[in-house]
Amino acid sequence: MSRCWLALVEGPATGADAVARASTTDGHPAGTLAAWRRRAKPVREALRVDERLIDPDGSAAWISLVLPPSGVRLAFDDLAVQQARRLVLLHPFPAGVSTLLRDDSHFAGAITVTHSAAEQRRLRDDPFGRIFPARLLAVEPGILGAVTPPTGPTIERYGSGNPWPWDRFG
Amino acid sequence: MNATQRARDASRNVGVDAVGELRVDGQVPDFELLDHAGNRRRLSELVGGDPTVLHFYRGWWCPKEQAFFRRLLALQEDAEVAYSRIVSVSIDPPQVNAAFRAGLGARWTFLSDPDRDVQTQLRLRETTDTLNNPYVPAVVVISPDLRIHAVHNGYWYWGRPTQDELVRHLRDISRELRPDWEAPTP
Repeated sequence: MSRCWLALVEGPATGADAVARASTTDGHPAGTLAAWRRRAKPVREALRVDERLIDPDGSAAWISLVLPPSGVRLAFDDLAVQQARRLVLLHPFPAGVSTLLRDDSHFAGAITVTHSAAEQRRLRDDPFGRIFPARLLAVEPGILGAVTPPTGPTIERYGSGNPWPWDRFG
Repeated sequence: MNATQRARDASRNVGVDAVGELRVDGQVPDFELLDHAGNRRRLSELVGGDPTVLHFYRGWWCPKEQAFFRRLLALQEDAEVAYSRIVSVSIDPPQVNAAFRAGLGARWTFLSDPDRDVQTQLRLRETTDTLNNPYVPAVVVISPDLRIHAVHNGYWYWGRPTQDELVRHLRDISRELRPDWEAPTP
């Protein structure tokens, strides 16, 4: 898996490979969601994401963006994170999901994506939202695609540096 | 005699049934079916790079299947951290599979073959049930290249693999598959 980074930024997303404006569910601007495919971290707030989720041709989406409060660190292998991954597999799989990583060993949040207005309400029951606060955002076209559901029941990462549900070694 | 040969000897006569076109050292065709969410899935993509339990079952209504699924649910607790996968296949449509899967608490992929295309290809129709024409129950354990490592004929319930036997098959494939199976030590 090559490196792919995601960030919700306030200013311009310099050098990003895919960008789209984000807004709150009541229509207020929430920044720009940007993705970079590169080895080096592009901006301070960028987090690693499953690269399959990023698609510059992707349609408009609704997302649940879960991020830890400032200063909080949680091990990726924490039971709460394990159980959230189990619940994602158990429930109807969204258009896309990826855990977010700041380093190899800590859970730095998750993004869950739907492209269907009918499924938007399911984002309010995001299993990762039980760990850290979730923001529901609307995202314009141009950044988010889909991730094929994992076969299951594996909840482990394939390589400690990779976001889940990436499902191959190497 | 190396570890792989010793393990093979220990596993001899376990999982060596032949059911329809399924036999040890044969190949499962890389079929495509709809999963429980209605997505078209190819077997090779589902198997990925891991040993996989491929489970053909009659349908949600069969008490034997309900009992055997409890065995797979127990295996799921190990498989979720063991880089191994499970795929269950029946003639039930995706909506029925989705409900059955949710009721069981299964976290693996269920595939639907309502037109019985794969069932016909593999000669797995249970001819004694002319009402449902379901799959004859069978459990195969396969490698990432879809080669069949073990086959269990589940027509009679005691023909089905125990959890220990499934673990043994998954261990055998993992031992061959993982280049670092022998723990790296100083």
